[in-house]
Amino acid sequence: MSKPRVAFFDFTSCEGCQLNKLNLENDLLSLLELVDIVEFREAMDDKAENYDVAFIEGSISTPSCVKRIYDIRRRAGVLVSLGSCAVLGGVNAMKNLHPADWVQEAVYGDDKYLFPSIPVQPVSAYVKVDYEIRGCPMSTPEFLHVLKSIVLGRKPEIFDHAVCVECKLHENECVLDKGMFCLGPVSRAGCEAICPENGQYCTGCRGLISNANVGGAIHMLKRHGFSEQEAKKKLQMYSSLNKLINEAECRHA
Amino acid sequence: MNALDEKLNRFTKYKISEQTLRKFIDYLKQQAPVFAPHHNGEASYSYECVENSAEVVLSYPRTMQPLKKYFLPPREVLLNFNIKDNTFSKPEIIEETRIFFAVHSYEMASLKRLDYSFTQGHVESNYVSRRKYAIFVGISYTPDESHFSKSVGIDVEETEGFDLFLLPVGDGYFLLEITDTGKRLVEGFPGLAAPDTTEIKTEPLQFKSKIKYHHNRLPAVFDHVYKSKVWDKYAEICVGCGTCNLLCSTCYCFDIRDEVDLDAEHGTRTRYWDGCMLNTFAEVAGGENFRGSLARRTRHRLYRKFKYITAKSEMLHCVGCGRCSHFCPVGISMTDIVNDLITDYEEKQNKEKI
Repeated sequence: MSKPRVAFFDFTSCEGCQLNKLNLENDLLSLLELVDIVEFREAMDDKAENYDVAFIEGSISTPSCVKRIYDIRRRAGVLVSLGSCAVLGGVNAMKNLHPADWVQEAVYGDDKYLFPSIPVQPVSAYVKVDYEIRGCPMSTPEFLHVLKSIVLGRKPEIFDHAVCVECKLHENECVLDKGMFCLGPVSRAGCEAICPENGQYCTGCRGLISNANVGGAIHMLKRHGFSEQEAKKKLQMYSSLNKLINEAECRHA
Repeated sequence: MNALDEKLNRFTKYKISEQTLRKFIDYLKQQAPVFAPHHNGEASYSYECVENSAEVVLSYPRTMQPLKKYFLPPREVLLNFNIKDNTFSKPEIIEETRIFFAVHSYEMASLKRLDYSFTQGHVESNYVSRRKYAIFVGISYTPDESHFSKSVGIDVEETEGFDLFLLPVGDGYFLLEITDTGKRLVEGFPGLAAPDTTEIKTEPLQFKSKIKYHHNRLPAVFDHVYKSKVWDKYAEICVGCGTCNLLCSTCYCFDIRDEVDLDAEHGTRTRYWDGCMLNTFAEVAGGENFRGSLARRTRHRLYRKFKYITAKSEMLHCVGCGRCSHFCPVGISMTDIVNDLITDYEEKQNKEKI
């Protein structure tokens, strides 16, 4: 059996997820035993015609992005979106909350007409996505898990439970109880609760668990002394495209 | 003298100062590894292996993870396998003596329930191996706003399951010999005076959290509240984080995941704590979920504590440690849910009378 041909592509993003893969160092050589990397702009110059697995980083935010993602989908067997921008729209999608003209002017000033821009969408808004790896940046163990699963022909296991679960497994003191803000109770796990474990709060970079009770989350944050406005704003940082947040109403004063 | 005091006074006991008690911990450490509550963060506690007896916390409300973490670890490798040779090996579980120090009575009661659950049908051998030679030194505690163990029939001074038990008295403790194992441990320790003959008189402790009904009546309540509106009321504020499951001292559900190494040959099968409040717990092939809503999940969680296993084991599977209430980020209290269900039950009973 020949090795699967793997390619990496970047769209609107900081390219941090790609960089994170190069940080694999110890595992990179073993990884290359498993797959052939045929396209990876961050690390090499080669280009390829088709790929067994395409990893997509970044969100879709310009007309040229749309053309490119359609093209990649046609050439790819399995398509995996990588990181919060690709999966959720991520931080980029916050621009959708403001008028497009105002955003373009703020970024490009008088040259705004040179840079056509469309509302930010995740990759899945345009093409079929087979698997998603969340996180800002994506977590390397999860990336390896998905890649290994694809190579072995099994379905990767992607968690749909809250960061709280991982904090509890690690017996971390609750950051909410310490008086800090935290989105852990409604945010997706898979990160080994790395932020709460290191004295930070969870910003929800992996998006919300499916069918999250956002009204309940806002009520929870109010109970811990945060305003509804702050709660919503922080929920929107990574998940501004999540309809649940915009529809949510806190029914408990 | 009440029944409890009468029982406590039957045990041989020693007066021991806190200083000597810490020396006793040092002595125990020479016999076997000792695990006891420690500070973990600003206002949190956890059982840890004792390095320094001065760091052991004797007065604490509750640890975050229950004692079950030593018998059913949060993560445990069950198998190492090789998918090329199609072989596997099981990591050896060492059956060793371990001493668990300053354990509360509800915790001991929860182990009794886990003992039951793990020895029904196919015996859970890893649990049994870890549990076999465990020694327990209990301690009484002052209930906080979340403890309600009295409401489920477990006294603060319940000595069942312990080998030794500590009761605070004046500026020290009474050390009670409960079992022969406990007696042998005490006999080897040189720091104790002759047995004390003062009579023990326990003060009735005031629990701030209470269930309205006697615990014997709770399974009957649960016969009638399956369709109660109470489930929806709590589902509205519950965020489904699973904290109540993961920290519950009698919950034992787990998930198993296989991970293959990068060599695409070796791999491990790992078991993790899971919980019925989580999204994928009742999900089956094809993506169907038998308990999609938080109301159904909350109901299932409580029925597991007060009805399903209770009917088989004749033990309530809630021990009143108050972890689910205390650590719930939205502030849902177990006693509030049960008391609301009781109110619902009473209303239903009254209607039927008319």
